[in-house]
Amino acid sequence: MQNQVNPKTEIFVCIGLIVFSAIVYWASLSLPEPEYEPLGSAALPQGLAVLMSVLCVIVILRAIPRLKTFEVKRDINPEVTPRPMISVTVFIATLIFVGVLDFGILNFVPAGTIYLSLVGFLMTHRDVKKLPWIVGFSIVLTVSSFMLFTKVFYIDLP
Amino acid sequence: MEPFVASLTYLFQPWPMALVFIGVISGIVIGSIPGLTTTMLITLTLPLTFFMDSVNAITLLVAMYVGGISGSQIAATLLRMPGTPASIMTTFDGYPMSQSGRSERALGLGITSSFIGGIISFIFLALLSPPLAKLALTFGPWEYFTMVLMALVMLASLSQGSLIKGLIAACLGMMVHLPGVDPSIGQMRLTFGVESLESGLKLMPVLIGAFAVSQIFKDIIMIDARPPAVSVGRTGMWLSYRDLKKYAVNFGRSSVIGTWVGILPGIGANIAAMLSYSAAKNSSKEPEKFGTGHEPGVIAAETANNASIGGALVPLITMGIPGSVVDAILIGALIIHNLEPGPLLFTTNPEIAYGVITAYLLGNLIMFGIMMFAVVHIAKVLYVPRAYLLASILMFCVIGVFAVGNSFWDVWIMLLFGVVGFIMERIKMPLGPFVIGFVLSPIAEAQLRSGLMSTEGSIEPLFTRPFSATFLAISILALCWPLYSEWKRKKAENVGAAAE
Repeated sequence: MQNQVNPKTEIFVCIGLIVFSAIVYWASLSLPEPEYEPLGSAALPQGLAVLMSVLCVIVILRAIPRLKTFEVKRDINPEVTPRPMISVTVFIATLIFVGVLDFGILNFVPAGTIYLSLVGFLMTHRDVKKLPWIVGFSIVLTVSSFMLFTKVFYIDLP
Repeated sequence: MEPFVASLTYLFQPWPMALVFIGVISGIVIGSIPGLTTTMLITLTLPLTFFMDSVNAITLLVAMYVGGISGSQIAATLLRMPGTPASIMTTFDGYPMSQSGRSERALGLGITSSFIGGIISFIFLALLSPPLAKLALTFGPWEYFTMVLMALVMLASLSQGSLIKGLIAACLGMMVHLPGVDPSIGQMRLTFGVESLESGLKLMPVLIGAFAVSQIFKDIIMIDARPPAVSVGRTGMWLSYRDLKKYAVNFGRSSVIGTWVGILPGIGANIAAMLSYSAAKNSSKEPEKFGTGHEPGVIAAETANNASIGGALVPLITMGIPGSVVDAILIGALIIHNLEPGPLLFTTNPEIAYGVITAYLLGNLIMFGIMMFAVVHIAKVLYVPRAYLLASILMFCVIGVFAVGNSFWDVWIMLLFGVVGFIMERIKMPLGPFVIGFVLSPIAEAQLRSGLMSTEGSIEPLFTRPFSATFLAISILALCWPLYSEWKRKKAENVGAAAE
């Protein structure tokens, strides 16, 4: 992990927020004028969009001078190697898991078992020796969650 | 007194009592694991409380709050890894004590301090809340609007990161709440033709995404982190009468600081612990010993962080204004149960208002018992394999959010806000103002518009009504103070550089 914010990331995020504010402002222009009260529905979105854009510009202006001087430093826990790729892969696996359930490709128990096994396998650095334990744990957790939600809370899981 | 006794009697029934136990234990366990926060636990429990009676639900969540803040001292003391930000100050003296073979003494001091801080704070909560709620009943839309404004500005200026980023986070939280029906006149806005946006973005997916999902992905990046092995014994944890007498002033001062800081909208337990630690150090005859394993340091930090919970509950039950991020989630829990947080809570739902107060008292008593007798076993939780834990929590996030609305739209929104929360953390933009902005924006907008309607567009009452003028003045001060401090710091730096 970095101990300082990368100015490039800050600038990138702030530009994204300015674009978001512009979309909100533009969408609120089509709202009707106030009739029954002085402010109307468009005032808050427009006010917030302008305020957020101004604040983002300030952050960008402060980040620009740091672009040349910024160095990536790691000091939180130097013995631990960060694993961003595992995090990204688990996120993609989660998107697929939700997609599989949403589109009805698999039911909760098989999809949950496969998902948990995969995620557990990735997080244990693909250690094949641990795989049987992970699969066993996944089956127990998925089946017990299914029973809890359907039999105790009476919620139909997909 | 009668509703208080009735509420306490109710809590002593088997099921509510069991919920307090479950809440405190799960809070301690989750709070003790670095990376997993109390906020995350309470957020994840929200979907389950949907199926509970309102009093039981709020009892469970308050018990978790107490357990979580107290439990975070275990990892802070033994590993110098604060379970939650509330225990950062505990690491300064708790960890050196632990390293010098006094783990039990450090934990005993921390647990007893948490308990005393909790009990003193409870007294303030019980005594202040009913009269404050009566006072809040006299508030009109202008007072409410300025109070919400004050909460947002104070949180933005005092939470982690810069003031500007805090304000951006608050604006973003308010903007995220905009799509759907305008609360004042029923006008549909910012739905972009998406049918699911017509009912707006729900609290649960946004909260779970921003707090739980983002935290899980952050933890996965550091999946290889392994806590070093430490041993904890059972002896030496209990404080003697002499100890209690010796540290009485520290207990009292830290409890008052913790409670007072908690009452101020938007400021969390970590700030309370920081201020209390500084006060203890400044008033000590041996300030140089602080940070080297000095007992008053542990007492100041742990008393104040627990006392701040009781303080933060005061504005929550009397005015519906969150004293901290967890309180914003508790407000969300009340809304989910169709209850209106605010001064009317004492009149319309006294069982909830007094339920919060008594659950806080009982939570502290049970926390003390569990921690003193079972901390040796709880400490083993620090070594639970992360891969299993994080994978399970992630799956519970998915089914928990799905269960509440029976909709996958909410699950996608949760994942989206998981990414938003992760990015915000990466650029050190605080999540607190974002959530409080999201929860409070409809109240702020509705109150402002209602006020403007009553005055036909004039904002004069903002400055002429005593409470709204005071709240506005505090907001302006909170906004200017960090800027002034930064200017002063830079000036001092320049003077120093010139002298060299």
